[in-house]
Amino acid sequence: MAIVFFLEKDIPEDNITVIEEQLKQSDLVLKTKYISTEKAREIFQEKFPDLIAIVKNLDINPFPPSFEATLKENSITSNKVSGFIDMMQNTAGVEDVQYNQDWVERIKSFSRLAKAIGFFLGGILILASFLIISNVIKLNVFSRKDEIEILQLSGGTNMFIRIPFLAEGTILGLLGGVLSLFMLFVLIRILPIYLGSSLGVFSELISFRYLSFSQCGGVITGGAVIGFIGSLSSLSRFLKPKNIN
Amino acid sequence: MIELYHIWKQYQRPHWALSDITLKIEKGDFCFVTGPSGSGKTTLLKIIFRESFPTQGQIIIDNRNILKIPNHKIYLLRRKMGIVFQDFRLLFHKKVFDNVAIVLNILGTPRKKVRRRVFNALRMVNLHNKMWEYPSHLSYGEQQRVAIARAVVNNPDIILADEPTGNLDTELAFEIMSLFKEINRQGTTVIICTHDRELIRNFGQKILFLYKGKLLRKESL
Repeated sequence: MAIVFFLEKDIPEDNITVIEEQLKQSDLVLKTKYISTEKAREIFQEKFPDLIAIVKNLDINPFPPSFEATLKENSITSNKVSGFIDMMQNTAGVEDVQYNQDWVERIKSFSRLAKAIGFFLGGILILASFLIISNVIKLNVFSRKDEIEILQLSGGTNMFIRIPFLAEGTILGLLGGVLSLFMLFVLIRILPIYLGSSLGVFSELISFRYLSFSQCGGVITGGAVIGFIGSLSSLSRFLKPKNIN
Repeated sequence: MIELYHIWKQYQRPHWALSDITLKIEKGDFCFVTGPSGSGKTTLLKIIFRESFPTQGQIIIDNRNILKIPNHKIYLLRRKMGIVFQDFRLLFHKKVFDNVAIVLNILGTPRKKVRRRVFNALRMVNLHNKMWEYPSHLSYGEQQRVAIARAVVNNPDIILADEPTGNLDTELAFEIMSLFKEINRQGTTVIICTHDRELIRNFGQKILFLYKGKLLRKESL
């Protein structure tokens, strides 16, 4: 995302240096590029060769000098951008700013919505996996009821009886985490190819990147923890002591 | 020694499953608990291995009141006991060896020792040659002998058997009872619930008669 600052036509050299320094000092800016009036005319001629004659017929160069400031990736949605533009607009020598604020606002709200949906779906999936694992363990405990009873009557401790089920739940959760990472990997590889040019201008805004190493670790550990807690909860209901009567 | 003092048990009002049972079973006794169906034989056994709590009364086993053992420590009591059920309660997806070894695995016995002790237990019940078979391939009598091997494999102080010959014909029942007698000869206290008078006549030493939850009489032969 770039912001173009158009300067006054007859701006003194000193002011250009001041503006450039201001742009470079900002945390939001990745790089700046100065486009002189001459350079601006060249670009115009390159892009619109049919209109070269019109420009040549003019006595003066109508193109103002400008600075093109490319923002850092994480700065696009930052709240500081509008303050930065206001500040630059009030700088001596800056005449106009070309910056699509509406789009940035829309992207920001879209990003917030996407995050909210992500958290909501993530929560539902965590709950679903918790319930699925807990039910799998419950069924397993139920199918091995006789064995558990024999173990209890033969002097097996609760921990001895629980360990295989807890291990099973944890492994299920762990495998679930690994599988989801693999599917995500495949999706990230396939999706850009599948969507291709249909994304249009959005392709610059949406970047498909894989999770970091620590995030992957978090997903796998999270899966294992969900599996462990899921099996623990179903076991505590099933393995209560039978000597209540 | 097993001592029961004024044991009362009620599952549902107004019926008492056990009424004021007081008795002592000495270490090394071979004891039959008999009576008609519903007389409280199984309830009595369940109370002794604390699968069930009495409504009133106290139970002392080896000078310890077992009703005061917390739930998470009850495994220590059960490790001193071997239990045999009428329906055998074998695991049919496991081989005979694994069915018996399960008790030793609980105790964390080393694998080599498990093999030796399971083999000895199965040899005692004359099933060592069927160690690697599944219980479903065995006859009823053989299945009950596997259950007995499981009950004795960790050398418990007490064997509790609930109608162990209920599903067996007379010949097999005598065979099973001889096994219990053999186990008893090695010093283990054996308590057997049965309503089979023939068996009691032939093997009875100490007999407890229950009727409608009451201990009618004790006999020592």
